[in-house]
Amino acid sequence: MALSGIVRAARGRWARPLSCAVPPVGTGDRGHRGHTGVRVYTGHTGDRGHTGVRGHTGHTGDRGHTGVRGHTGGPGHTGVRAVPGVPGAPGVRGHTGAPVDTGHTGVPSAPGVPGHTGAPGVPGHTDVPGVPSAPGAPGDTIFALSSAPGRCGVAVIRASGPGSQGALRSLAGPPGLPPPRLLALRSIRDPRTAETLDRGLVVWFPGPHSFTGEDCAELHVHGGPAVISGVLGALGRLPGLRPAEPGEFSLRAFRRGKLDLTAAEGLRDLIGAETEAQRRQALRQLRGELGALYGTWSRALTQALAHIEALIDFSEDDGLGEAVLPRALGAVRALEREIRAHLRDGRRGERLRAGVRAVIAGPPNAGKSSLLNLLCRRPAAIVSPVAGTTRDVLEVPLDIGGFPLLLSDTAGLRDPRDPLEREGVTRARDRLCQADLVLAVLDVTSVSPTPGSLGAALAALQPPPDTPCVLVLNKADLLGGQGVSPSATCAQGHPVTLLSCKTGQGLEALLELLGQQLAQLCGNPLLGSPSLTQTRHSRHLEACATALSRFGDIIGDTGDISGDLAVAAEQLRVARRELGRITGSVGADDILDVIFRDFCVGK
Amino acid sequence: PGHRRASGELGAAAAPRYEVVVIGGGHAGTEAAAAAARGGARTLLLTHRIGTIGEMSCNPSFGGIGKGHLLREVDALDGLCGRVCDRSGVHYKVLNRCKGPAVWGLRAQIDRGLYKENMQKEILSTPLLTVREASVEDLLLTEPEPGRPGKCQVTGVVLGDGSTVCAGSVILTTGTFLRGMIHIGLETHPAGRLGDQPAIGLALTLEKLGFAMGRLKTGTPPRLAKDTIDFSGLEERAADIPPVPFSFLSEAVWIKPEDQLSCYLTRTSLKAQEIIRDNLHLNNHVRETTRGPRYCPSLESKVLRFPDREHQVWLEPEGLESNVIYPQGMSMTLPPELQEQVIKTVPGLEKAKMLQPGYGVQYDFLDPRQLTASLESRLVQHLFLAGQINGTTGYEEAAAQGVIAGINACLRVQGKPPFTVSRTEGYVGVLIDDLTTLGTSEPYRMFTSRVEFRMSLRPDNADARLTLRGFEEAGCVSQQRYEQAVKMRAALDEGIATLKSLQFSISKWSQLLPGVPISSSRRSPASAFDILQYRDVNLEILAKAVPEPLGKLAQWRELAERLKIEAAYEWCVVSQQQEMAEVRHDEALELPDDLDYFAIDASLSAEVREKLDAHRPQTIGAVSRIPGITPAAIVNLLRFVKTNHRKTEKLKAVPQTGECFPGKMYSGKATSQRQISAEFSEEEKKFVKTSS
Repeated sequence: MALSGIVRAARGRWARPLSCAVPPVGTGDRGHRGHTGVRVYTGHTGDRGHTGVRGHTGHTGDRGHTGVRGHTGGPGHTGVRAVPGVPGAPGVRGHTGAPVDTGHTGVPSAPGVPGHTGAPGVPGHTDVPGVPSAPGAPGDTIFALSSAPGRCGVAVIRASGPGSQGALRSLAGPPGLPPPRLLALRSIRDPRTAETLDRGLVVWFPGPHSFTGEDCAELHVHGGPAVISGVLGALGRLPGLRPAEPGEFSLRAFRRGKLDLTAAEGLRDLIGAETEAQRRQALRQLRGELGALYGTWSRALTQALAHIEALIDFSEDDGLGEAVLPRALGAVRALEREIRAHLRDGRRGERLRAGVRAVIAGPPNAGKSSLLNLLCRRPAAIVSPVAGTTRDVLEVPLDIGGFPLLLSDTAGLRDPRDPLEREGVTRARDRLCQADLVLAVLDVTSVSPTPGSLGAALAALQPPPDTPCVLVLNKADLLGGQGVSPSATCAQGHPVTLLSCKTGQGLEALLELLGQQLAQLCGNPLLGSPSLTQTRHSRHLEACATALSRFGDIIGDTGDISGDLAVAAEQLRVARRELGRITGSVGADDILDVIFRDFCVGK
Repeated sequence: PGHRRASGELGAAAAPRYEVVVIGGGHAGTEAAAAAARGGARTLLLTHRIGTIGEMSCNPSFGGIGKGHLLREVDALDGLCGRVCDRSGVHYKVLNRCKGPAVWGLRAQIDRGLYKENMQKEILSTPLLTVREASVEDLLLTEPEPGRPGKCQVTGVVLGDGSTVCAGSVILTTGTFLRGMIHIGLETHPAGRLGDQPAIGLALTLEKLGFAMGRLKTGTPPRLAKDTIDFSGLEERAADIPPVPFSFLSEAVWIKPEDQLSCYLTRTSLKAQEIIRDNLHLNNHVRETTRGPRYCPSLESKVLRFPDREHQVWLEPEGLESNVIYPQGMSMTLPPELQEQVIKTVPGLEKAKMLQPGYGVQYDFLDPRQLTASLESRLVQHLFLAGQINGTTGYEEAAAQGVIAGINACLRVQGKPPFTVSRTEGYVGVLIDDLTTLGTSEPYRMFTSRVEFRMSLRPDNADARLTLRGFEEAGCVSQQRYEQAVKMRAALDEGIATLKSLQFSISKWSQLLPGVPISSSRRSPASAFDILQYRDVNLEILAKAVPEPLGKLAQWRELAERLKIEAAYEWCVVSQQQEMAEVRHDEALELPDDLDYFAIDASLSAEVREKLDAHRPQTIGAVSRIPGITPAAIVNLLRFVKTNHRKTEKLKAVPQTGECFPGKMYSGKATSQRQISAEFSEEEKKFVKTSS
């Protein structure tokens, strides 16, 4: 049996021994791969004065001239600025030194602003300043998988920004930070659950001696999708950290002068190519069903926003009608529900991290526990020819084709009289309801191999709706060679395979089938970097849904304008921007197009 | 004729010379001329007729949603129109009152006659500003300054009588006069506004210089005699009491609140639709393909696009003593007798007398993507353009560009860095960035929906955003206004600090303010600033509960109102700050004006190169707003920013290069040039003296 390399019974979790401790040389060079894009984030936000901001290019930053002005105001024609009623004005300009600010004074208060409308139950916007995905904050720290995506020996995850140090401490401490620029072997844990995700090498690059010039941290971990997604997920839950936008590492490096021109000369084609590749890849990912879904949302949100904008910009017109606000509110609420449902359903990233929950189910004595034992290559479950041997749920973690699988063996589904077995069946049903994947085991001798009867047998197990099932016809050895051709047989669209737990016959086919199902469930890690993309997507979708719900809170249930409509519209703009980071942004002209298409406004 | 020349005796022998010459006396021209003069430039305003300065050529109103924001910003830069409106308005109304102070639209019906009179008074008494009646036929051009984009530079203008006027900078604000064509029914005749001459010679010059032009159309409704309208069955809309002034300098407006006039609302019927539909063949303007404004549609286009419904018509007074009513919403280009028929189908207008028919105007505009953010042409150095000629519509849009062009024309002559407003700083910044980056295919109008940072760029804080900068960097703001803005700013800072430092537990606040449903779920203690965010709380209520130290804040009404707004928007503004910083950073990354996008060695697709060349973005921020530009293109362009930055760094190391002294390059040219040169050299000496 060619099991090794495909199925590995896990010791502990699905951690594997650390066999390839030496990271590939030159990961630093690869670091700017795969992060491309445009957004500009630097530490200049604190500097609200105009001069400081504009000074970068030197065009306007040359303030020396302004100061001169007052002195030229002699008898000549230039400097004398005649201001009616203000004698002696010339000569003052440029020397006042009064602070230039845009007028929004005061230090931003900590999160926890009261409900703007003050109505009871309004959730007080407490989350506003902390909305995670707004980029560009001074304390903004980004992270991403910076090695090539997909399964590989070692994956490099990099973080850049002031939070890198804290992130390294949280994930890879104790014993504290390793010495700068030296590899250290650490257990890498999810700080939330203290669960060990992997053991790997970590490096700490204090700024400015790093690729981006900021504080940077690198985690070199095993290249399995579960580990990568686990680490990315753990990083994403740390305050102040967010997934990098495409290209952001390179841009940060560029902005900080870390990529000097010679380096940039060599790199620019790479950056350009990578950016293009990423863009194409993102497009490819968005072209499928998911892309269509995001597109629908984008149009719905754009329309709702446009209608609210029309209420603001054309409030004097009668072309709008009274139903505009309630309709927009309805659309926004529906959209929020959809996105939230999607976030709950689209658990692919989470499945990668926590494992796909596969449940073996079937009538008693079909060989469910034998299947479990076969798959984990050890007698984990007690097997006997007596129906109803298994009473409790038995769970075994497995790694199949690189995908993590949590396999549960359950009691045979029948209507038992024995109270102990009855409890076992209840538990089996509970577990079945939460399954991501059902392995339905039937005794091949007990069913006729027609699609109809197979379907009926499967339905009798009552698997949760819309859950993928694999129908395993066990005891193939009893057929004595005269068998059905299982690959051609389907039960209600679910694949069917023949197996003999006793002889191992048909195991390869089952494993291949399982691998396909897992790839579907987890997303295919060989296509780009799904975990990263998905973390990024769900991050933006989460922020989008949050903004949509704030919109609902401000408008209120009545659908009249109880709050500030400009503030409400701002929530839709935030939502639009978040969604736009996935689907591409929508400009003011697109909004106006919708307004003029839908309403007779203007006079 | 009959008007005195405002000031400035012109020498007879040599051509007169001004630092700034403004062509056109409309809303852009008056603001531009006044701003240049305020900045210290000897300025000449050239207009066909002094009597038309300050003419409100279309609607008798100023402000509105988005436009009111622009107006406040013009005022914050010490522009004229806000102040003049506060001396001429007859009906003040804040629109969007219930939708939040960030989108309040200050608006007023203005007495046309008074506005014109007050504007002329203002213009004719502005120091350093000379007004002259003349038509402009051509521009005086010479070699360009090296090191800047442009195929030539303007040094003056040729007048209708063949004489010339020399100028350091020229501002073109000719509105719809460039090959303006009036349409009424099937009749067309060349003109700008009715009764004025179109500017043809100038249009030819601009075309010869290679300016890309487009054609736009707009319209105006017929005018009605007030005493023939039956207002009895119509819905009346009374003005606000008290009226909210436009200008930061005005404590109150000139008119007594109770003396304000009302507007009336009526609607068109299906009968009007029938007349319009039956006579489309008589309506050239509507049938033609030139782009008109979608938001200011003619009645014809409304009927065609949204049939079988009523369309509202506002009857607006044109002045206190005026018998003219402006029917807002009834722009038409039908033949006059048919316009009369349409009018008579409208309730209240059955017996209305049409004083003047509505008409359409088609005119040339110059693609504004040929301008920099300071509104200087990239083709012709020292030539600035403002107003409708750039493809905009509206008095406020014109005035806002006028102020910016005036300031920059003046700074240019003085050899100082340009004064530009960022999208993060003002509606005027959004307006100019949209125009110069994206161009326009219909008359551009301001909307709040165009503004990313609407929560921060509010009518209430325009002074804080622009007045200080205007004073310090542009020199276009009076000392008095500056001091007032500084005082207000200090008071706001202090007020916010006071409010934030006053902290009580939530239960204490609930006890102090029994009428206010304070959420118990929020953190405790809360500051008075936090509490002020509640909708039902204002400073007066707070001051009653905690007289010390809040009593004195509540006494200054304007301050109290502004503190309330600051509190209400604080969280929004804070959450926008990150994005604002991002935009500002991108805006600071400038692209060279003369970048040849087809030649640069970067991996850019042909399509992207074409787009970049067509839009000529000035900053990376602008690049990111051009539709269809890929992230890769932006990354590659960043390199050029970087290179450029280095170059300028090097340039800066050599102090006072010739860039600021254009005249120096042209000594030995024509007489007038030599004169300019001499004057500039004089200036140069001063510069060197003071800066060493």
